[in-house]
Amino acid sequence: MSDLSDLVDDLRDRLATARLGGSEAARTKHLDRGKLLVRDRVDRLLDPGSPFLELSPLAATGMYGEPDASPVPSAGIVTGIGMIHGRACVVVANDATVKGGTYYPLTVKKHLRAQQVAADNRLPCVYLVDSGGAFLPMQDDVFPDREHFGRIFFNQANLSAAQIPQIASVMGSCTAGGAYVPAMSDETVIVKEQGTIFLGGPPLVKAATGEVVSAEDLGGGEVHARTSGVVDHLADDDRHALAIVRGIVDTLPAPAAPPWEVREVEEPTLDPETLYDVVPVDSRTPYDVREVIRRIVDGSRFQEFKQLYAETLVTGFAHVWGHPVGIVANNGILFGESARKGAHFIELCNQRGIPLVFLQNISGFMVGREYENNGIARDGAKLVTAVACSVVPKFTVVIGGSYGAGNYGMCGRAYDPRFLWMWPNARISVMGGEQAASVLATVNPKLTTDEEVEEFKAPIREQYETQGSPYYSTARLWDDGVIDPVDTRRVLGMGLAAAAQAPVPAPTYGVWRM
Amino acid sequence: MASIKILLVANRGEIAIRVMRTAARMGIRTVALHTDLDVAAPHVAAADETVHVESYLDIEAVVAAARSVGADAVHPGYGFLSERAAFATALEEAGIALVGPSSSVMEQMGRKDAAREIAVSAGVPVVPTGSEAAFPVLVKAAAGGGGKGMRVVRSAAELDEATAAAKREALSAFGDDTMLVEKYVEHGRHIEVQVVGDTHGTVLHLFERDCSTQRRHQKVLEEAPAPTLDEATRARVRQAAVDLAAHVGYVNAGTVEFLLDADTGEFYFLEMNTRLQVEHPVTEAVARVEGHPVDLVELQLRVAAGEPLGIVQDDLTLEGHAIEARVYAEDSFGGFLPQAGTASLVRWPAGSSGTTPGTTPGTTIRVDHALESGQVVSTSYDPMLGKVIAHGPDREAARHALLEALDATAVLGLTTNAGFLRALVASDEFRDATIDTAWLDTAEVPAPDPGVARAATAWIAAMLGSTGEPNAFQSDGFRLGAAPAATIVELDREVRVDRAAATVDGRPFQQVRAADHVLEVMADGVPARVVVNVQPGHPGTYEASLLGQRHVFTPPDRLAGAAAVGDGAVTSPMPGTVLDVRVAVGDPVSAGDVLGVMEAMKMEHALKAPFDGTVTEVDVVAGGQVALGATLFVVEEAGS
Repeated sequence: MSDLSDLVDDLRDRLATARLGGSEAARTKHLDRGKLLVRDRVDRLLDPGSPFLELSPLAATGMYGEPDASPVPSAGIVTGIGMIHGRACVVVANDATVKGGTYYPLTVKKHLRAQQVAADNRLPCVYLVDSGGAFLPMQDDVFPDREHFGRIFFNQANLSAAQIPQIASVMGSCTAGGAYVPAMSDETVIVKEQGTIFLGGPPLVKAATGEVVSAEDLGGGEVHARTSGVVDHLADDDRHALAIVRGIVDTLPAPAAPPWEVREVEEPTLDPETLYDVVPVDSRTPYDVREVIRRIVDGSRFQEFKQLYAETLVTGFAHVWGHPVGIVANNGILFGESARKGAHFIELCNQRGIPLVFLQNISGFMVGREYENNGIARDGAKLVTAVACSVVPKFTVVIGGSYGAGNYGMCGRAYDPRFLWMWPNARISVMGGEQAASVLATVNPKLTTDEEVEEFKAPIREQYETQGSPYYSTARLWDDGVIDPVDTRRVLGMGLAAAAQAPVPAPTYGVWRM
Repeated sequence: MASIKILLVANRGEIAIRVMRTAARMGIRTVALHTDLDVAAPHVAAADETVHVESYLDIEAVVAAARSVGADAVHPGYGFLSERAAFATALEEAGIALVGPSSSVMEQMGRKDAAREIAVSAGVPVVPTGSEAAFPVLVKAAAGGGGKGMRVVRSAAELDEATAAAKREALSAFGDDTMLVEKYVEHGRHIEVQVVGDTHGTVLHLFERDCSTQRRHQKVLEEAPAPTLDEATRARVRQAAVDLAAHVGYVNAGTVEFLLDADTGEFYFLEMNTRLQVEHPVTEAVARVEGHPVDLVELQLRVAAGEPLGIVQDDLTLEGHAIEARVYAEDSFGGFLPQAGTASLVRWPAGSSGTTPGTTPGTTIRVDHALESGQVVSTSYDPMLGKVIAHGPDREAARHALLEALDATAVLGLTTNAGFLRALVASDEFRDATIDTAWLDTAEVPAPDPGVARAATAWIAAMLGSTGEPNAFQSDGFRLGAAPAATIVELDREVRVDRAAATVDGRPFQQVRAADHVLEVMADGVPARVVVNVQPGHPGTYEASLLGQRHVFTPPDRLAGAAAVGDGAVTSPMPGTVLDVRVAVGDPVSAGDVLGVMEAMKMEHALKAPFDGTVTEVDVVAGGQVALGATLFVVEEAGS
């Protein structure tokens, strides 16, 4: 067994643990109330057998407690894309077994990210609400800022305005700010004697006005379905509610035709399972990235562009699950000509409306006098500009290192790829740990002896080692998830199929021959 | 008559097809009858020509039809006009041969009391009657049948009252309250002998049949030869039948029925059926002339044409054992209620009507049926859809072959008794031939477990959901970094199908083959062959047949009346005037019952019960003004 498959086994273990949700006691209590666990709700919301492209299932790992523990698995919220009545939808579902489904900072970030996915790809949103609202002890990191809790409702209003349907099912608490999730939705379901919606719960009401009222009388299903009109449908139980939501989705108008031609799907002739054999785990070990490409694309067919020029960047055309793609893949360090080749190719794809796939394995741009004097920053800027201003959907997979400006030029998170995934062997940081330690040691005048230098460098190396991990990244939502390399083709395919739901604007420049 | 060139078959269903099959083989042109309901029935398609009649029971119309097509002979099948002497007379008058006995013999044998007298004079044992009969006795209507006007009386004290009750029943059912009193046999076996006579004075028997597996005098399983007779009794019974037939000068095929007292070995004449029997195929399966199977319909047609039988009793030999099962449109495990509907999917074990080798070596399966996929079954005619007949070298071989044949029998769209037959044939009681004629009236045959059929239905539903052009969102349950998710199939309950792991609800379920609605699987290590029909939709079709039994797994329609029911307060939808109050406190009501009517904004509004329950409050009177939202009635939910 290769090292890469060991890393994948570790990934699968982590995912299995996260997918359990809250503690056994919390889950038992949830089930005893006649409620379905969050992933069981999602399974029953989606079409039977529907795939589910879950987003960032390992979010918040190690962030709110012991470094290795995950007291808030998946950040207490399940998000992703699945099919409802044959239509791709974004699902946002609270996990009430995790701290009552309350919103930690990462919960908010994950919720907002799902809405971003819905906005970019014009996918209807279904919210399965079962949340106590903001996690009060961390209110300063949840409540006030631009990308905090309030943004959820700002997004709902604007998504709805953009004709992206907003559908909510209240399947538990929906308190305070959370009450606006159903209230801001286009169409809303509530489960009777289970779902509640109120701005202030019974304890707050008592404290504020002295009124004593039960949760059910204050904001239960009967109240909202018959009296307040906050919800539109009253369901008997979870299953009934999910059936109603499915019925609502069935009434939505069909999405627009894909902006590109989708061909018949062809399996790669090279088995994707053999990726484990061809990809070395250590990102310093060179290999031909075409080995990866051929295991991802339809028919293992890849038509290269500028094959003989700037060989450290591989560019070319292929199809993934029938969708056309332009692939930009690192095959060594970025030189000035590699950047120019990449920029040219990206402009080509923009002209042709072909989505871009970036396979990142980059230690950075070449450094040194010759390169600086030749203006490598100028060439790097061309690539970064082409990536930043690209109008076609972009997809990034970090298959190895993601360092420095290479991250930017190869469409890192800051460059708004529709989705960004990492392989379990990926590393991400501004530069390598050793380089960072050396730089910091060099600029530190207090260090005199070798021992002092080594003592100084060790914790820096360790910090970079920890923070460069894909799990450190995915916990913070720098990506949409760590994936099994074998799943790359499928995940890209689903991303492309989702992106095909939204139109592609026309580019504003022609192709510049760099 | 020299020969028959044109034969009108005055019947429908499997027997009409069966008669036509032989006639066609003999080069005889066949004419069918059809009613409006039967325009597209299989027996019409099987004939060379068809004539419309209003009813198969209309003697005048049937004779006219026979005349109009120039028929030389009419085969009446069984049921309908087959034992109506008036029909035989009408044909005789028209100069058309009836494939059956003369009208006078039919008339004689048609009345139980007359038939009994003939039997006595022929020296055939009859059930002791009147004062000869010791208790228990059976009091029954002379004109009766079907269990009506019948009472078992176990002591002299009960006799008068029971007789009076039976008379009342007989009078209303048959318009004749003549009563017979006879010995009642506690453990009876139904033994019958197939006879055939020609116009040249030959009368032969074609061995006996045992039809003891009956339910309320309706035969369910029949076999030949009889499994429990000693050789002496067997010989006596056969001879008695021949004696009786010869005594009345019986011509053509007929059946003499006897009641065998299983406790004493005595047998008694019951009645004679002057026609071809439903169960004649078991005789055809075992009887041989010079090693060749006998075709009773061929014999009937030759006799009707005036030909001699041309064989003597010793030419007939018996080979192996045969058992027949009658497939009815009835829900045997649901109170034996008759079923009707469209047979959406029909699978018979031997394909189309005919004889084919059974799965077990040395066995054959014959299916006589008139039911094809897509056919509508109505309650207007006999509910029998077909017959499955297995023949083997011995009774156990035949029984196993029949089990396999019933396993392969599947009717979907409406429920049949095939699963019940299967369970019955598999029972220890049938295996041991201990079932008497009353057994089924009290025995409980356990209903088959629907588990494997449900799993198979869910499996197919999941499979159908995952077909279509490959695409990135195809229904294969893909999950990131995990095995594919199980497909949750909603049937009558939720079923988790994991096709990748080959499990259903966590139990092993390996597909061996799936084609043309048939799923062969290893379910929990046990092989099963399930015929499945899944048509997704609202509400869709989800049903399967396993071991002959149809199972229906319709999912709940969660969107029917999507709003959950609230409390039982019926409130005024508008301010207005109450026109009518139709209930009082304490009245039981059903969901949707109108409790009262009010008028508002020139419109009448019916105030309806939200669910089944009892009215606990009536807060209005007719003519009263009510405000918007005022509680008018309160209904307490039943069972709450």
